Amino acid sequence: MEHAMNEEEPESDIIIARNLHKTFPGPVAALVDFSVTVRRGEVLVIVGPSGSGKSTFLRCLNGLEEVESGSIIVDGIPLDDNQRHRLEIRREVGMVFQSFNLFPHLDVLENVSLAQRLVRGKSRAEARGCSLELLARVGLADKAASYPAELSGGQQQRVAIARALAMMPRVMLFDEATSALDPEMIGEVLDVMRQLAEEGMTMVVVTHEMGFAREVSDRVLFMEHGRVIEEGTPGEFFNHPRRQRTREFLRQIL
Amino acid sequence: MQWRSATRITSAVDVAKFLLTLGLLAWLVGRGSEQLGYQWHWRRIPAYLLTVTDGHWHAGPLLDGLLVTLEITAISLVLAAVIGLVTALLRLSGSLVGRILAIFYLETIRNTPLLVQIFFLYFVMAPILDISRFTTAVLALAFFEGAYASEIFRSGIVAIDRGQWEAAHSLGLSRLATYRHVILPQAVRRVLPPLTSQAISLVKDSALVSTIAVYDLTMQGRVIVAETFLVFEVWFTLAAIYLLLALALSLLVRLVERRLGSHGQTAWNMP
Repeated sequence: MEHAMNEEEPESDIIIARNLHKTFPGPVAALVDFSVTVRRGEVLVIVGPSGSGKSTFLRCLNGLEEVESGSIIVDGIPLDDNQRHRLEIRREVGMVFQSFNLFPHLDVLENVSLAQRLVRGKSRAEARGCSLELLARVGLADKAASYPAELSGGQQQRVAIARALAMMPRVMLFDEATSALDPEMIGEVLDVMRQLAEEGMTMVVVTHEMGFAREVSDRVLFMEHGRVIEEGTPGEFFNHPRRQRTREFLRQIL
Repeated sequence: MQWRSATRITSAVDVAKFLLTLGLLAWLVGRGSEQLGYQWHWRRIPAYLLTVTDGHWHAGPLLDGLLVTLEITAISLVLAAVIGLVTALLRLSGSLVGRILAIFYLETIRNTPLLVQIFFLYFVMAPILDISRFTTAVLALAFFEGAYASEIFRSGIVAIDRGQWEAAHSLGLSRLATYRHVILPQAVRRVLPPLTSQAISLVKDSALVSTIAVYDLTMQGRVIVAETFLVFEVWFTLAAIYLLLALALSLLVRLVERRLGSHGQTAWNMP
């Protein structure tokens, strides 16, 4: 699937990660000389066995984890020691977590509005209008006054997506967004993600949903032990995997 | 229903035990005072609380003392909460100096007797800083209870799921905004019960300020006892007043708790 690219932007690569290296305490390296580039409007799906470094890579992209060496540039801003850069990147990169991480003491509307007011400086009324619009987009306009604990997992995750979108991010990261959901709720979250992809959002998606990868992504990246094993269009990747290890992985999960 | 009658019997037995204990206590006191040849003068006590002359109410010394106790307690409660929160945040901060400062304060306060702290402040610091007895009392209590409050706050803060920090981080919230809007509202609700017992401790510990001649409830009691030898009556009355104060405080907090938990659901902080 091709996405409309933003023509007036001179830079077409929105994420440039070069030679990332990271280890956790223990023998296994999380990222080894890991390089990847994401184009504006691209949907990149990262797959791989657990512990392969997929989530670590995502978390490095918005500064939740520190890399030991290598460089990350997001939308022209280097992720370095400059706190202003880091803050800028945190604001421009939205993230959706496996465990939703909604704020349990705030209702749905406040969950979506909070950062708009605190970070974007919007008035309460402005944020409210924007939030209700976003909640309608994810199909939860009627849940604005509910508290997270009153919602199903699928609904909570859709609120979390709306909350991230409220910051008008230029990139959205999805860290196994459907892994904690009951099977019957996975579809509703994937639908929202698919819709987002169709609207041209740049997305980096770590998932085990191969159907989503096949249908929605522009590129699939398979990683293991912190390294890229293989990458390609979904057609190439799923139908003609080049590497033996990729074939084994696909056989196991499909 | 069998279990229902069983519980009824159990509670009846409990009530009986309670009454028996109470009776035993009363008997012990009665017999003790008799042996001492103690003359009870309960009728003189109300005058120390409140007198009416020419249709005007006059607060007696005990009521005056109660007001001072309430004043000291209220001010040091607020101060202790602030000190506790700041210390907890310092201890959890990235600053090494902040952490060392917080730990030094905590360990010093928690490992020395309150009475010694009061005397230290009164005899050493008060002349240097030129502060009144009342201020000394408030400061001593605030610093003492603040140390315990800070550990309570800290436990509440670290109990909040890491995901809450990560979500706030990814939304671009500053550390301060995250504390204020995400972490603390959840943490404070969780630690309200232990904070309440700390507040009740403060009420009771405030009696120690009578040692530096602050005319609180206990001090007034001591004065009356010295003047009238109504030892038993006055101390019984004092104990009852402190008891009522503590009970009122926990009732108040329970009301606040219920109000906070009434956002449609009470179990929102359960994972």
